[in-house]
Amino acid sequence: MGSDALPSTLVLGLSLGPTGLWWTHLLVMVGMYALLGLSLNLINGYGRMFSLGHHGFWALGAYAAGSLVHHAAGSMPGPLLFLASVVLAVGVAALGGLLIGVPCLRLKGDYLAVATLGFGEILRITIQNLPEGLLGANIGLTVPRVLLEKTPETKGLFQAGWAGLMVVAVVLVAWLVRNLVTSARGRTMLAVAQDEVAAGLLGVDPTRSKVAPFVVGAALAGLAGALYAHYQGTIAPQEFTFLEMVKMLLVVVLGGLGSISGCILAAFVLLYVEQVLQLAGQDMLPAGVPPLPASWTWLAEWWSVIYALVLVLLMIFRPHGLLGTRELNDLLRSWRTRRTGRGTGAGA
Amino acid sequence: MSDLHVFLLNGLGLGAIYAFIALGYTMVYGIIRLINFAHGEVFMVGAYIGYFALRGLGVEQMPLPAPWPVVLAILVALLLAGLGSGLLAVVVERLAYRPVRKAGRIAALLTAVGVSLLLQNLTLRLFTATPRPGPAAREWIALESLPATAPGELRVDRTVRLSDGRSDTDEVVVADSGVALDEAWRARLAAEGHQGVFRRVELTKQQHQLFVIGMLALFAPTLWWLVKRTRTGKAMRAVSEDMDAARLMGIPIDRVVMATFFLGAFVAGLGGVAYAATYGKVEPMLGFLPGMKAFVAAVIGGIGSIPGAILGGLVLGLVEALLPLLLMRMGWAEAFGWTDALAFLFLIVVLLVKPTGLLGKPLREKV
Repeated sequence: MGSDALPSTLVLGLSLGPTGLWWTHLLVMVGMYALLGLSLNLINGYGRMFSLGHHGFWALGAYAAGSLVHHAAGSMPGPLLFLASVVLAVGVAALGGLLIGVPCLRLKGDYLAVATLGFGEILRITIQNLPEGLLGANIGLTVPRVLLEKTPETKGLFQAGWAGLMVVAVVLVAWLVRNLVTSARGRTMLAVAQDEVAAGLLGVDPTRSKVAPFVVGAALAGLAGALYAHYQGTIAPQEFTFLEMVKMLLVVVLGGLGSISGCILAAFVLLYVEQVLQLAGQDMLPAGVPPLPASWTWLAEWWSVIYALVLVLLMIFRPHGLLGTRELNDLLRSWRTRRTGRGTGAGA
Repeated sequence: MSDLHVFLLNGLGLGAIYAFIALGYTMVYGIIRLINFAHGEVFMVGAYIGYFALRGLGVEQMPLPAPWPVVLAILVALLLAGLGSGLLAVVVERLAYRPVRKAGRIAALLTAVGVSLLLQNLTLRLFTATPRPGPAAREWIALESLPATAPGELRVDRTVRLSDGRSDTDEVVVADSGVALDEAWRARLAAEGHQGVFRRVELTKQQHQLFVIGMLALFAPTLWWLVKRTRTGKAMRAVSEDMDAARLMGIPIDRVVMATFFLGAFVAGLGGVAYAATYGKVEPMLGFLPGMKAFVAAVIGGIGSIPGAILGGLVLGLVEALLPLLLMRMGWAEAFGWTDALAFLFLIVVLLVKPTGLLGKPLREKV
């Protein structure tokens, strides 16, 4: 970065201010969970499989990218290293998905859930037990900044840059998922998800049609992991727990099992409420952020309980999620037609 | 060789606890094909109930030379833990699982994950994350007959004020933790007018493990009899064979499912008390890993099979205790840090080699 670029970033950093920094951070995290939700949706929503190890693939990607940058920082130009680490993360996560998916998806029943849950645990234990010099064990792995510097002066640029990057990533992944689901391969996947035996009789190989979306989902979780490692700057095994898995499930379920826009919307709602509750409890909410009503403060203490309760209640009353397989524009369209329909009815 | 003895006992003791939990998993899975993720939390709640029951019954106030009150208290606590866990499972089944039973497997599994998280966090809010030491019986030692111990041998654990009106002096409990009961402490005790101290008497881990194995040896045949010989047991087997046909035969499905949940949770509650006693603490996260491992045990034994759950539990316990030992003897020094990873690896190997588990029947495809 040239010295002449500094004043403008300084201005940007100052103009963002604490409120702007908060919003951009929220945007990045919403993007992260939207990515995770979209990739999990491919497996649990469209594919009707049940994976409980998505946090494992996320961690796999984060550690693949993080360890490459940690050990190779300075050996090549920053953007190139960033790109290499992202490619590596996606590749490693896909390979992990293949190794778990092939044995488990051959079987009927819920073996995938158990094996993926075990995979997430094994991965965490492995990271914690490997020598500290390799992956940082319990202390965590520092990931040097290779794309955007983060100093007090450049914080604004860093945040704004990452927010932009996440928006691009989410749009790309959403586009990819949509194309995948509407492609010929995607339709065989949906057919297998609906009725494996019937699809098999039509000449579809059920195992292949299940493994493919599972591997793509794992790879996309790896992408999210790489971005997470770069954005956070340090990663530790304690961050990739089962609770994260539940959070991703909640994003998918809240949005609708098989809805892209619902997924993104759900990530926003979930993270906004969570972040506001966390900060409101500590009186640290920036000035420009709309606070929650004062009578809601007890929510902060009971957040984790409410979280689980929302998941259970959603499943009881809306088992296919709030939006189901519909997209937001479907809803808007039906709402518009209903409104205009009612309008003409009143006029006549 | 005595080393191997200890490891064998460790493995069987842990395996028996896995078996206690795995029974509930396998019974529920057999009947409604649901991985009841909340089962580990039911086990944890059982441990808490046992803990509060033992304290409430005043085990800590019971002088040990007469052992029968303590034994009775333990039996009552076990019964309460079983009943409480069973009741909880029935409530969960009625409120959360029954409404989603028709909504598909993913909805049911997600509900189970949600219930598991709900119970975990609720316990966390109510009882905090701090582990509580398991209650222990205590032995009275008069002050004059206190052994002249070297510092560090008898230690003051805490002082408790008796609030039942019998005495208003502080009662001193000593155990193997806390402050050393040295001369200064003795002088202070005498000055405050204490007649003596209580010493916490805890069974060793090995004794607990023998107890757990004995409990399993007693319960497994009982359960077997319940499922094979009683009317309810016959109905359970019919429902697990074919739910629709069973309904047409006039079997009350909802009641049978409820009974299955109750029975599985009752056994898990007993396991919870045993686990908390053996490892000496209760905490809200206590059910997570054993619950997961027990499910692994149920799958290893063949999910849906009751003898399979017991066999799977014992096998998994032995693998966890002996495999790291073997690997360590073979020169891998940190093998014990990897115990949990080895358990899951074992599961994946079993799934690859024999997906239906050791005693499982292949699931028939219903088209």
